Amino acid sequence: MSTAAPARETAPSTGPPAARDPRAKRKKKLREILPLYAAISPFYLLFAIFGLFPILFSIVLSFTNWDGMGDVSFVGLAQYQYLVTDGRFWNAVGNTFIIWFLSTIPMLSLAMVIAFLLHQNIRFTKFYRVAFFLPNVTSMVAMAIVFGSVFSDTFGLVNSALTALGIDTVPWLSSSWGIKITISIMVIWRFTGYNAIIYLAGLQSIPIDMYDAAKVDGANLWQVFSRITVPMMRPIILFTVITSTIGGLSLFTEPQVLLGDSGGAGEAGMTIVLYQYNQAFTQFDFGYGSAIAWALFLIAAVFSIINWRLVSGRGDDTVRRSARKKEARR
Amino acid sequence: MSAALARRPHRTIASPSRRSLLLGAGLLPLTLAGCGSDPTISDDPDELVMWYWDRSASPKLLEEATAQIPGTQRTLRADVIGTSFDTKLRTSLAGDAYIPDITYINSNNALYFTNEDQFLDLSEFGADSVKDDFYEWKWDLGKTPTGRFCFFPLDIGPTGYFFRQDIFEEAGLPSTPEDVSAAITTWEEWIALGTELREAADAYLVNDAQNIFEGFLNSSPERYFDTDDKPLYLQPDSAVRQAWDTTVAAIEAGVSAKIPRDRGTDQNAAWASGRTAGNIGAAWWTQVLEESAPDTAGTWRLASQPVRPGNNGGSFAALPHTCKDPEAALAFITWINSPQNQAAAYQDVQLFPSTPASFESLSYSGDFYGDQNPLEFFSTAAESVPSSFISTWETMISGTFTLEITNVETSGKDPQRAWEDAVAQSEKVLTKRGITT
Repeated sequence: MSTAAPARETAPSTGPPAARDPRAKRKKKLREILPLYAAISPFYLLFAIFGLFPILFSIVLSFTNWDGMGDVSFVGLAQYQYLVTDGRFWNAVGNTFIIWFLSTIPMLSLAMVIAFLLHQNIRFTKFYRVAFFLPNVTSMVAMAIVFGSVFSDTFGLVNSALTALGIDTVPWLSSSWGIKITISIMVIWRFTGYNAIIYLAGLQSIPIDMYDAAKVDGANLWQVFSRITVPMMRPIILFTVITSTIGGLSLFTEPQVLLGDSGGAGEAGMTIVLYQYNQAFTQFDFGYGSAIAWALFLIAAVFSIINWRLVSGRGDDTVRRSARKKEARR
Repeated sequence: MSAALARRPHRTIASPSRRSLLLGAGLLPLTLAGCGSDPTISDDPDELVMWYWDRSASPKLLEEATAQIPGTQRTLRADVIGTSFDTKLRTSLAGDAYIPDITYINSNNALYFTNEDQFLDLSEFGADSVKDDFYEWKWDLGKTPTGRFCFFPLDIGPTGYFFRQDIFEEAGLPSTPEDVSAAITTWEEWIALGTELREAADAYLVNDAQNIFEGFLNSSPERYFDTDDKPLYLQPDSAVRQAWDTTVAAIEAGVSAKIPRDRGTDQNAAWASGRTAGNIGAAWWTQVLEESAPDTAGTWRLASQPVRPGNNGGSFAALPHTCKDPEAALAFITWINSPQNQAAAYQDVQLFPSTPASFESLSYSGDFYGDQNPLEFFSTAAESVPSSFISTWETMISGTFTLEITNVETSGKDPQRAWEDAVAQSEKVLTKRGITT
């Protein structure tokens, strides 16, 4: 819901030279504009029916008690009052943040390293790019079966490998941390390549003469990476942080296909969206499901504001500062 | 670049195509709004539409009814509804649009009790004339708490204890179906047998605690609520509490492999490898087992479950209140569920019949269960399944109890604390949904 950003309107172009009479001019202009609006209207009509209406209706629903079929009864703020005291909801919030934390940091670091390596003059770059992106377009159901087998407690590959190495096995899919780590690995596996491709595009837009200058100054690979690449990539890094935050807060598919609607042992894999789905579509408690959705909206809004504050201004500052530093050094 | 793109269409569109585009855009909301007026999904007065899901009806019989429903002037249109069946059915009923004339409903029919006015009372159309053909307990499950008969029996899922004869034999335990059945007439005996099995063969009786908990409750005449929706589970010797205590005893004796149901891959591997040598399963599980552990063919047998058999699963058919022709629709349901046609459906898609007479014409020819005939076993078991009542509210709280019993099993949570948590959570949910105050 929070991710739905309507496409930007293209400003109508200025038509042929304006006529003298202002009314005729306005009429003429309207005639020019109308087809353009008509052309973009299907999106807005469909969005209004299938996007906007459900969003607004869910606000209404969050103040009601409704099983999706019978009478709708208004209960005021009761759903939100229940939400605040609902341990299962807060468990889901905690799980979501832990999984987000466990997955985002390794994922983005790994993506940056991969992008940096792909940017070097190595052979088969195109093959590697495709290979790293492939997990992102793999069927989730197939992935869940593979991950379920690899991380299986008693029969899994990982535990077999651990046993072979003489290390104690880990209950990946039945302990609280095991479940969270497994889901995080799934997320990392799926999205690292996607983020690496975005970083690669960013790397390619860094002017080559900055690297040349660094080389002339005698910088080693690490210095080039930390003093030029990372600061220049800051806006792109922030972009991936924002998309990963939104993706992480609305995490649903991975735990659902891996553990089912109940979130696994002790609800350790229950995320906010999975809990919302569980309440609305398996318990048919649409009022409460809507309340959870709006609670998630609030959480996502807070994080979006933090991200927005980070993006606006500071990114440019850093580039300017590093440029100034270079100037001073020279 | 975007300005150039925007300029191009306004030159080329200035022809008839602009008008048609505007017309199309203008008509879109009208067509969308227009659909809502007719509550039934088909305008054809001679056509009855049925919603079902894959493998819940015999394709051969449906094809026959598509030409003409026997004994009526109507034809059938059978629509396979994919996933989220309940959501789709509830949405059409809530929106009063696109409602089918006949719908199948899974074993969770209790979910619809609170909205029973959406369905016709089949007794009013003479459904009772075939009542004696069916298992009584299954027929009773189709009645709402107010006594209306809205849900017509389709298939059933009588249960028994599946076990690996070879592993039992190696362990020096009773191993023929008769001997095992005789050795496990109570749950205490069953757990004791499991302890011996652990010691002698390092194998488990079942994969998870939930299997025991539900196996116990599914065979109990009393469940979470009575027919007045009064909670029974809070009473000290309630069936739910007994099921809980039995399961806790089994967990403490170590007879479950501690592989919860959400880990299906692990469960299958445990059965295929012999680490877990049994399962409390319904008739339809024979099919599941044959597909998931084909290499173990011939080693499995069936024993009577402790105390008495239960029922797990089995669907219903219902007529929404907007049904075009209830008499013809009921004629279709009674026809497709006649003993003869249920026998045909068993051979076609393995739906276990809810009419005892079906078994007279059925024979079993596989050898997955050695010389034992699962058809005969489960049809005998079906005779002694108790009548019980499943409340709408049960569907809201039973998950809490299975979650907590799984916590006891997998993370060693204190059983008493887990029980108290389950009760407290249930109370919370029921209060929130406005059932208890």
